[in-house]
Amino acid sequence: MFIVIPEFDEEQVENTIARFRTVIERTAGEAGEVNNWGRRKLAYEINHRTDGFYTVMEFTAGERTLSELKRILRVSDDVLRHMIVKLPPTYAHKPLPETAEVSG
Amino acid sequence: MGRRRNAGSRRERPVKGKPCVFCKENIAYVDYKDYHMLRRFISDRGKIRARRVTGLCPQHQREAATAIKRAREMALLPYVAGQ
Repeated sequence: MFIVIPEFDEEQVENTIARFRTVIERTAGEAGEVNNWGRRKLAYEINHRTDGFYTVMEFTAGERTLSELKRILRVSDDVLRHMIVKLPPTYAHKPLPETAEVSG
Repeated sequence: MGRRRNAGSRRERPVKGKPCVFCKENIAYVDYKDYHMLRRFISDRGKIRARRVTGLCPQHQREAATAIKRAREMALLPYVAGQ
């Protein structure tokens, strides 16, 4: 999961997602489902920003995927926060409640 | 299986524990992304509620706490609320 800066528009967010997708695929990982939550209010301010684009991406990691992806996420100025979580093998894909909260 | 809180009459001994909500619904993984659900386990100040309040079993209380902390990191839940 990562948060893209609110200054972007949908298209630029798509570009950002595509960038990470290529990183995953280049490092022998497999990029899966992308879940765009859209623009959402943050629970607290991050770098003087009150909202951001939430994106949840699922992927399988190759040997170098994690180190490479983490490095790139960290240096990307368009990503406010990111978190990589290992999912349990039993993870159920249940739809989450409506999360898109559009704010001005 | 946590003990039930003294609901109603004081004299009554805590009988059978109420099963933890996650055990009841057979949830193996407490998802940090489901912050609406996690809201139930934090106070209105944003603090994680104690087990005797949430009624969760030890495993699920631990998992819920981890999930809340992850949700906080991603600004889905506040660290401090209502100031």
